[in-house]
Amino acid sequence: MVQEFKLNRLETTRLMGPMVDKHWKELRTAKERGEKVAWCSGVPFIFAYAMDMKCHFMAGYSAYCAGRKAGEHVLEIADSTGELPDTCSYHRMHMGMAEAVKRGIPVREDVVLPIPDLMIAGRVCPEMSHYAEALYRKFGIQVAGIEVTTPYQESDYAVLEPYLERQFKEILIPTMEEICGKPFDYDHMREILRVLKKTATIRNDCLEYFKKVPSPWTLWDYGVSLAPVIYLMGKPETIPYYEKLRAELEERSKNNIPAILPEEKHRVFWDGWLPWGFLGHFSRKLTSYGANPISGRYPWEMFPRPDLIDPEGDPVHTFVKALYTGTMLGNNMAKPGLSLIDKIIPEYQIDGLIFFTAKSCRIWKSQLTILEKMERKYGIPGLCLEADMADPKMFSDAQIDTRLNAFFEVLEARKEKRRWV
Amino acid sequence: MEKVLSRFMELSTDPYASVAKWKEDTGKKIIGCFPMRIPEEIVHASGMLPVVMWRGNEAVTLGHSYVHNFNCGLTRSFIDDVMKEKLDFMDGMIFYRSCLQAEEVPSTIELNAPPRHFLYLYLPPLYPGAVFRDFLIQQLKRMKENIEGWAGQEITKDALNNSIEVYNKNRSLLKRLYELRKRKPGTIRAREMLAIVHSSMLMDKEEHSKLLESLLPELENREAIADGKVRVILTGGLCQTPHTAILDLIEEAGMVVVDDDIYIGSRYFANEVTPGDDPLGSLADRYMKKIPPDPTMGDWKTLWSDYMVDKVRENNAKGMVSLLVKFCPPHLCYYPDIKRTFDREGIPEVMIEVEHEVVSVEQTRTRLQAFVEVIKGGA
Ligand code: SF4
Ligand code: SF4
Repeated sequence: MVQEFKLNRLETTRLMGPMVDKHWKELRTAKERGEKVAWCSGVPFIFAYAMDMKCHFMAGYSAYCAGRKAGEHVLEIADSTGELPDTCSYHRMHMGMAEAVKRGIPVREDVVLPIPDLMIAGRVCPEMSHYAEALYRKFGIQVAGIEVTTPYQESDYAVLEPYLERQFKEILIPTMEEICGKPFDYDHMREILRVLKKTATIRNDCLEYFKKVPSPWTLWDYGVSLAPVIYLMGKPETIPYYEKLRAELEERSKNNIPAILPEEKHRVFWDGWLPWGFLGHFSRKLTSYGANPISGRYPWEMFPRPDLIDPEGDPVHTFVKALYTGTMLGNNMAKPGLSLIDKIIPEYQIDGLIFFTAKSCRIWKSQLTILEKMERKYGIPGLCLEADMADPKMFSDAQIDTRLNAFFEVLEARKEKRRWV
Repeated sequence: MEKVLSRFMELSTDPYASVAKWKEDTGKKIIGCFPMRIPEEIVHASGMLPVVMWRGNEAVTLGHSYVHNFNCGLTRSFIDDVMKEKLDFMDGMIFYRSCLQAEEVPSTIELNAPPRHFLYLYLPPLYPGAVFRDFLIQQLKRMKENIEGWAGQEITKDALNNSIEVYNKNRSLLKRLYELRKRKPGTIRAREMLAIVHSSMLMDKEEHSKLLESLLPELENREAIADGKVRVILTGGLCQTPHTAILDLIEEAGMVVVDDDIYIGSRYFANEVTPGDDPLGSLADRYMKKIPPDPTMGDWKTLWSDYMVDKVRENNAKGMVSLLVKFCPPHLCYYPDIKRTFDREGIPEVMIEVEHEVVSVEQTRTRLQAFVEVIKGGA
């Protein structure tokens, strides 16, 4: 008889939806309250928060919009205005939204973005440059251009940190001061960092529970809980959220309650983006095999080293430190990523590797190489799933099912050899 | 003349043997530079030969174990060539951070088949602020130090200035060639022009300049064949060699290319470097130029599409052919804007998608013929 598995959802994660919704609602309605608004790609949104601006965050918004099942509609608007399908779906989503707002094309109210006063282009890739240019062109919006460089290797942090710090101090901060008509609020930035440090520290405690066999939670749960360590940073309510989460995990752990019922069969590593537009979809697929994704690179990106954040000193300096030395930027690059995965596999007792490859975003470097090296080193099977983080037109579900089937057959066959249990 | 041209053609279509032979003949090292932005002068000044890495001449096979088939042709084919050991004669490779696909190459190569010398640079985008130029200079210094180590000799200021002059001279000769084509369209076929510029990326610059000097007067005397042809400019092909078959199809459809905005074309030799007391600073100044606009860098105030419109008008061209490399996000992102701008300005434009392996000749021919008809109909 085929065994039936189901997700044993956490109670705490149910609290996240309202927090996230509140954030986007506050952004949507900011103009009505006379507040300034920025759009931001990359991590510099903290600077806008410090100045009490409401700020959008490109990847966070895309995940939200896709997660609310509005992504497809916004992408269709982008298509209809001439955007080309092989470009980044997050980029297209923003182009579609900008066009919709400009031309008055109706979009679902809960995902509308207000036209910003400032575009913070924290450039990681050329798509982000283009996006800044398009906004400048469409709306005449002022742009603050910052290059947020992904580090090729760990030894480059020392060169990249002063470069980014100077950009923040010489370009972004003066622009914010000009737009807001007041000096930059270093104290407020410190406050945000204090909360972030605390939240990320408790979050790290939570991550430890992934090491338990069976694990009391899944990467899907963690995905839902990411906002507090990224765009909800600095919000006081993020601390009690993670405290509750930690308590619930502790409770489950004590009582040996697994995240997948009746048992966790396969502990898998999930590489690349979380498929925000299809989180439920992929989680159901994996659960049906009794597979629990308990680790990945993307979720480990969000301030993994809160110990390095020193809110009492120079907040800009410490923020930059957290990004590079604190290994937040760079996990997506091949060399730092490889070291991370190499550490994670034995620590988290991984049985198999699923590398999610987003067709429209190639930021995860050399995935095929990493996959092959890790398969060989640890003797565990790997699978590369080609799909997309937001655009359903970029992949075929049937093909994914076939590949997952084959993958789990291999895992099943090797179950006897599982070295972790 | 034909001899020189066929040498260029040969080098451009199959660089492997000739580049390796240069190394054998001179005993000097070959350093591959990732296309577009690396200041080759620094390598040249060390006595080694910088060559711009190229799209291979066969279908990607082995490479697909290392790179996804939805990466652009250049990155796939280059990785394929490395894995097939076709580029073993290269002594070193220099990469930098440009687009996301390009970034796939250095780590894949370093982790699987590292060359003897390897360098990864961070070359900044074109944003306003002194910090970018300062950082660039820091990177150029790093590059210089690395190259000195590889070459086993110091790069003096004089040597660097000399290389700058050598490069400037080659640039000005290529420019003269382009001016000749503008004056007498059809004198030089599109595939010939491609081979000439491409050869400059693959051979010793001084030798290339010598050949160009002999070629120029002879080309002046060549008969122009542009009567009744539709004048167009080419754009696209951000860092890869366009297929010569497509260039031929453009001409066969009744067009003549009067100018271009492609990398293996006018973008390669645009802007000279001013030699002087601070040659690295001068190289940085050339790098920071906003024209021609570079979609892999981004400078929101200089619009690529405007630049193209100007180019069409300056050349009294009737339209533009966009060679859009499949899976090239920097071009794909800008394309809708280009299209809109050209529509608005009433300039005919046609986009031909190009892929490393396949050229759908019949389909391309039909599209190009229809394009010519539209232009003629509107004229
Ligand atoms: S291509 Fe990737 S890194 Fe660039 S904007 Fe899109 S999702 Fe972000
Ligand atoms: S710019 Fe385009 S052609 Fe060049 S490496 Fe990037 S994707 Fe490929």
